[in-house]
This record gives sequence, C-alpha cells and structure tokens, in this order.
Amino acid sequence: MTTTDLGLTIRRQSATPASGTNIRRDHSTPALEISKLVDIDLCIGCKACEVACKEWNDLQVEETHLFSGYQSHPDLTPHTWDLMRFNEVELAGGALAWLIRKDSCLHCEEPGCLLACPAPGAVIQYENGIVDFNQDACIGCQYCVSGCPFDIPRFDTVTKKVYKCTLCIDRVSTGLEPACVKACPTGAIRFGTKEDMLAYGLEKVEKLKARGFSEAMLYDPVGVGGLHMMYVVPRGEILEQYGLPVDPTVTAPTSFPSLIGALRKVGATASWAGLLAAAVYFLKTGKRYPPPEEEAVAAAYEKAPHG
Amino acid sequence: MAEIVTAEELAREQEPRLITRHTFGVRVVHWWTTLTFLYLILSGFALGYPRMAWLLDVMGGGQSVRFVHPWVGVGFTVGLVFMFAMWLPSMRFHSVDRHWFRNLGEYVRTGHTDTDTDKFNGGQKAYYWFSVINGLVLLITGIPLWLPDLLPREWNLAARFSHHVFFLMAAGFLVVHVYLSTARFPGTFRSMTSGTVSRAWAAFHHPRWFRRVDAGREHEGAD
Ligand code: HEM
Ligand code: SF4
Repeated sequence: MTTTDLGLTIRRQSATPASGTNIRRDHSTPALEISKLVDIDLCIGCKACEVACKEWNDLQVEETHLFSGYQSHPDLTPHTWDLMRFNEVELAGGALAWLIRKDSCLHCEEPGCLLACPAPGAVIQYENGIVDFNQDACIGCQYCVSGCPFDIPRFDTVTKKVYKCTLCIDRVSTGLEPACVKACPTGAIRFGTKEDMLAYGLEKVEKLKARGFSEAMLYDPVGVGGLHMMYVVPRGEILEQYGLPVDPTVTAPTSFPSLIGALRKVGATASWAGLLAAAVYFLKTGKRYPPPEEEAVAAAYEKAPHG
Repeated sequence: MAEIVTAEELAREQEPRLITRHTFGVRVVHWWTTLTFLYLILSGFALGYPRMAWLLDVMGGGQSVRFVHPWVGVGFTVGLVFMFAMWLPSMRFHSVDRHWFRNLGEYVRTGHTDTDTDKFNGGQKAYYWFSVINGLVLLITGIPLWLPDLLPREWNLAARFSHHVFFLMAAGFLVVHVYLSTARFPGTFRSMTSGTVSRAWAAFHHPRWFRRVDAGREHEGAD
C-alpha cells in the first residue's frame, strides 16, 4: 500500500492557502476515506478504550478525585484524549436510562478547529479525514478550543499547546486500526472506510428501530460536513443528554467561522484599496504648505471676533 | 558637567520664533501609544491573516507573539488613559467645529478651511474620540481571546469577530492620521519630535489657538 491508498496526503492545513506546499491539488482520484463508528448500543462502559489510548499515545497517568458515578475523570485533559462519559437520566415514562458515550475528537469533515486556527500547519486534515494537531507549529492561542463545536481540544498550561485524539494516525499509516478500536471487547468501536461504516450504521439504526428505539439515529451532522467518528445513538430524542449538540454548524454562512472568513476578505481588500487610494490622493493633491508668516498671521487676526 | 539641551531648545536656537505645541510629557505619551499600537497592528495582521503569518516569525515566533500581544494591549490601554486625560480639555467639541465639518469637502480637496480652528480641528477631535472608544472596545473584546475559559464558546467567537472589525477600523484611520500628520501638511510632524511648530503653521492651521498663544494668554504647549 502507498500513502495515497491510505489517504495520507494532506488535504488542508490551518492558515495555509489551498495552493500551499504539500497540499494535494489533484482530486481526480478520490482518496480513501476512513471512519470510526461507536455503536452506543454495544458499549458496556468498560473503559478499555480509555486505557488503550493512554498506553498507545504514551499519555501520563492523571490523578483523579472522587465524584459520583462511574466516570474515571471529570473531563478531557491534555493527557486524556478519550473519556467515557456516563449520564443517568430519567426518561419520559419515569424509567431510568444510563447513557454512556465515548468522548473524543470526531474528526469533522469541516473542522471548526482548523478553520479557527491562525498558525500555519498547526492543524492538518488528511485526505482520509483524519484531523491532527502539529504541536511544533501550534502557537497556543486556543482559538481551536472556541472553534470546536464538540469541546474537544485541551490546552496544556505547561507546554502552552493544545492536544487531542490523533485518530492514531501513526497506527493508521501503517495499516493498523486505532488503539481504542483494537481494545474494545464488544466491537462497539468499529473502524473501516467511511462507506462501510455508514452502511453498518444505517443497518444498525434499522435494527434498533425494530427493537422499539423509534428515534434511533446515526450521528453524522451535515453542519460540520459529516464526521470521521460517527455514533449510532439508540435514543436520538435525547441527543443532548448524551452530550452531543443537535445541530452543530461551522459551515453555515451565518456561523462565525464563515463570518470571520468573509471579514478577512473584506479586510484584505480594504487594506490594499485604502493604501492605493491614499497614494493616488497624495499624487493628486500633494502637500499643503502654510503661506508666508505675515500673511498667515494677518489672516489669523482677521478671523478674530471683534474686541 | 555638560548641560542637557532639549530637542525643543535646539530647535529654537536655530529659529527663535518657534511655538511649542506639544510638551515633552505629551510627546512621550503619544509615542508610547504609537509604538505599542504599531506592534499591536502588525502582530494583529500576523495573527488574523494567514498570508501575513510570516510576520509571526519576523516578530519572534508565533508563541511569543501570542504571549506578548495581550500584554502590549494592556500597555497601550495605559497610554490611552493618559492620552484621554491630557487632551480632554482641548478635545471638547465647540460650535466652530460644526463649521469645520460642514467644510469637510473643501478640507479634503484643498487641505484647508477658513474655520477659526482652535488647538485641534473637528477632524482631530473626532480622531481623538474614535481612538479612545476604539481602544476600549479592543481591550474589552480582546480579553475573551486572551483568556478563553472565561466565557462560553459563542461569546469567544463573537469577541473574535468584533475584535477584528474594530482592528480594521483602527488600522484604517491610523493610515489617514499618519498621512495627514506627515506627508500632507509639512511642518506638522516636528510638533511630535521637537514639540515645536512655526508661527506660520500655527496661524494657518489653528488661528484661534495661535492668537491666544501669541497674546501670551495661554502658556505655550498647554492643553
Ligand atoms: C507612526 C504613527 C504616528 C504618527 C507619525 C503620528 C503623528 C502625530 C502628530 C504629528 C500629531 C500632532 C498633530 C497636531 O499637533 O496637530 C499627532 C496627534 C495625535 N495622535 Fe498621532 N501619530 C501616530 C500614531 C498615533 C496613534 C497610534 C494614535 C492613537 C492610538 C494617535 C493618536 C493621536 C491623537 C488622538 C492626536 C491628537 C489629534 C490629532 O492630531 O489628530 N497617533 N499624531
Ligand atoms: S471534533 Fe473538534 S477538534 Fe475534532 S476535528 Fe471536529 S472541530 Fe476539530
């Protein structure tokens, strides 16, 4: 297999024009698109993926503190890129539901983090859909933190850089599945081409509906161009209780990434037009000298109100 | 011990009839805001425009720029507070300014109006108020960008958008300001270096102020 087969050519880089070096411009041969898929129905909340993520990525162990529930840590951190979130909710009929969701980067097709990033090459999107941070180029501004609709990137106050799941790009590039996928004992985390994952997901949704989960859904929101880590969500009616935004959007013309992009174009045009106008104005009108002193002083006294 | 000769004294030695327009303190405050502001504009372009990102390297690297920019912003604001206070007495709008604004077209075409202008003309006063308000807005919208954990995500995005809008306005008016105070009107720039202007300059551009100073009714350089 070549890197092209694995979709490892660069498709987009933060703060880099589309003509930038290393960016593939010929899209006539469609690249392989990959995806993870988390089948929440099959997840038993064992946290094997969390541990595998820590091990493979060599992330330091973090002390946690006691808080109620089954969750290992209260939140994602620069050293915890994968976290099982547990949420106990009361359903409409009074029954209890235990919602468990693997929380990690969703590798958006239109990544809010990448669109927000001002540092060239600090966020890289590969043709296969992986969105990766390059800490060498990161300047620590944390715009990605505000840019991400899923609250994923975490700022390390020691290194002053941001970190998140890489979709195990170092494993994927050698033809292996991500560490969390490999560790999952129930097959709840799947990995394959986006096409295969979509097919699996849609079929699974039908099965769930047949079992009575009438609002079951495949979570792959269009507002971010689709995901490279999708979820099969059994109870689609309470998406937000899983911690998933119902309608995340970064591409709509009224969303801030688009507005800031438009403003940038206005700013660049206005800057050049303004400088040009100033130059032309100067050429046309030139300098304005005061008249000789006696004349200027006399004129000044003429303006004086009487007395 | 050698005596210290100020820039102003040096200028008067060559041309004794000069008028002091801006005192040493005023000039220090003005150049403090200028230097900090130029840094903010340049690093702002570097952070806001991918095609200007090479400036990040020129200015010491992206991480340094990200760290320094907010602090320079604080320094600028401190200068702005002094500028606000020192010029406030001269910057209140009066009825003569209405005459100046009505003749704005003539001012643009010829560089002069026959307004009985005081120490500052209507445009200069407008620029003063614009600078003060714009500076405050840049500070307020800059804080969420500096410390993104304070506010929800949407607020940070809105702050980034507004910070950019006001940054563009500040940059635009700065070009006008620099152009008018250097290339357009000879004899103006020296008021911010040695602090002095010629009698002809003063009488021509600021007749009302000139008459007061000439009659000894106003301490030279006072605001
Ligand atoms: C290279 C940059 C700059 C140059 C060459 C420059 C030059 C000058 C000069 C010569 C004056 C005196 C005008 C007079 O006496 O009538 C002046 C006044 C003033 N400057 Fe600047 N300046 C610069 C940057 C700035 C910046 C960044 C600010 C605001 C943050 C600013 C705010 C003002 C204000 C409010 C006044 C008084 C009103 C006016 O003259 O327009 N200046 N400047
Ligand atoms: S989930 Fe957040 S961090 Fe991951 S690609 Fe999307 S915007 Fe970027």
